[in-house]
Amino acid sequence: MSINRRSLLSLLGASPALLAGAAAAAQSKAKEKPGKAPPIAGAPKIVALNPRGIPPPITLVPMAKRLDTLDGKTVYLVSDGFPGADHFLAQVGIWFQKNMPSVTTVYRLKAGGFADDDPKLNAEIKEKGQAVIMAIGH
Amino acid sequence: MGIPAAPIVTIAFKDLAQSNCAKRGMPLQRISYTPHPVWGKTDEQMMAYLEGNDPVSGKPFMPEVVGALTRPLTADESKTGTVTPPTGAPTFTDTSDNLQQYFLDNGLTDTMPIIIPTQERVDAMLKATSHKPDEVVGHMTPAQGAFPAWSYTVQQVAVNAVMAGATPDYFPTILAIASTGISALFSSTNSLVSAAVINGPIRDKLQMNYGIGAMGPFNQANATIGRAWTIMSRNLDGGGICGETYMGSQGNVINYSNLIIPENEKDSPWPAFHTTKGFKPEENVISFFFGFLITQGQGGRGLGVKPVPLYNVAMSANVAPFASLFGALFLLDPLVANGLGDLGFKTRDSLADWLQKNTTVTVKDVKSMLFSGLPRGPEAATLKDDDVIPKWPKADAYQFVVIGGQTNPYHQLANMSYRVSVSIDKWT
Repeated sequence: MSINRRSLLSLLGASPALLAGAAAAAQSKAKEKPGKAPPIAGAPKIVALNPRGIPPPITLVPMAKRLDTLDGKTVYLVSDGFPGADHFLAQVGIWFQKNMPSVTTVYRLKAGGFADDDPKLNAEIKEKGQAVIMAIGH
Repeated sequence: MGIPAAPIVTIAFKDLAQSNCAKRGMPLQRISYTPHPVWGKTDEQMMAYLEGNDPVSGKPFMPEVVGALTRPLTADESKTGTVTPPTGAPTFTDTSDNLQQYFLDNGLTDTMPIIIPTQERVDAMLKATSHKPDEVVGHMTPAQGAFPAWSYTVQQVAVNAVMAGATPDYFPTILAIASTGISALFSSTNSLVSAAVINGPIRDKLQMNYGIGAMGPFNQANATIGRAWTIMSRNLDGGGICGETYMGSQGNVINYSNLIIPENEKDSPWPAFHTTKGFKPEENVISFFFGFLITQGQGGRGLGVKPVPLYNVAMSANVAPFASLFGALFLLDPLVANGLGDLGFKTRDSLADWLQKNTTVTVKDVKSMLFSGLPRGPEAATLKDDDVIPKWPKADAYQFVVIGGQTNPYHQLANMSYRVSVSIDKWT
């Protein structure tokens, strides 16, 4: 009954390949592990209430149309502000210079916390850029 | 925005990123992964990440990123519609032992045995409030902004309160906690903790312990109110799933029952804590703090100054190493609080002002500490490395609560910030 990724992604039509990973494996093991109390003959059954809250409905968001090519395009390299993301994206810029020199890269630090929207930056990207690479993590 | 985007995520956040994309309606988001962390790596090491393979897909990393921006969308990636996530059946029927195992296996507990939430027990809990069972109490998320918030009713809070071992008398306090939407299991890699200070006559009505051993495992109300907060933080918002909705690298033992701090009002030299937040002494109030953890304590030995130990000086010295992302919450035994009163600190504000002025750091030390940001604004540009600045720019970073049984002039320090105070009486 838990809302694990398997049931959620399945509902949304996601590929099972997305489920590969440590957490999914741990979840599976948790369900398979032994340790259930041996049944007690005649033990009465009781009814327990579900303690879960109410998750909001999920609205599927279609992804933006992809580009035919990055040649000649401007790609924004956006950091969410976590340590190291700026240096990492600088290396991404260098990679493009070496491997796809027709691509222009522009580095920007997103304003606010990692989960905050940055409407000003979004407007700039929409006006001047054609694609975004965003670094998330530590 | 309508612009194609390619997220790059370090592999430690893979499960979180995938499930969060699903919860936000993009289950097939084209994420590329690097090893973790990128923080602290050299330019050469990071370029090696880019020129190597994605550790999840095994494919060359940068061509994968470019492909994420240029490969045509599939039909599934263009899907629209709405999905309601399942939360399971409203009830489960089995033997008591099997229900214990079921709740444990499905991540519905704090991993310790629970009281099975039967209808009878939940009904008894509901009688302790005038609020209707189907009233929505609040909205909670494991991390504001990062995860969509869930809602929950009075009855759902009651189910969790029963599981924690709370008695009906405690229920209004637990509802007040739930009403804030503050999760005790905030999903940060920093393994953060939460605290709640309780003031007013309800402390005695519930026979809470604010004397000897107040913050230890010696009192049912202190313990189960805190435990209910943790269990709610798993069940009412989908939190506490390690690697997905909980990312604390080491975890924190305080999360089992949190810091529940009924203030020792009768032995304090100052008006009760909640009166400093605009409430009347006779009101029952719960006030919330949030931050790293208790980092240090200072007992009577070592203070060593007679006739009155300079408690304020010791407090200033002890708080100096704190990161300034959060503030300083001092938990003062009444012996310390009264000693401070004898030293002339007749109000909490006067003590906060003294600490703010006298607890200082050099700019270069601040620069060397993560999460210890320099002052912002125009003056920041004029600061030199050897300049001395206040540890915190405002006195309200310092907060004081009196708790303890006067067996030792002890104080504990928590690197935590005040959040909000709410009425408990509203939930009776």
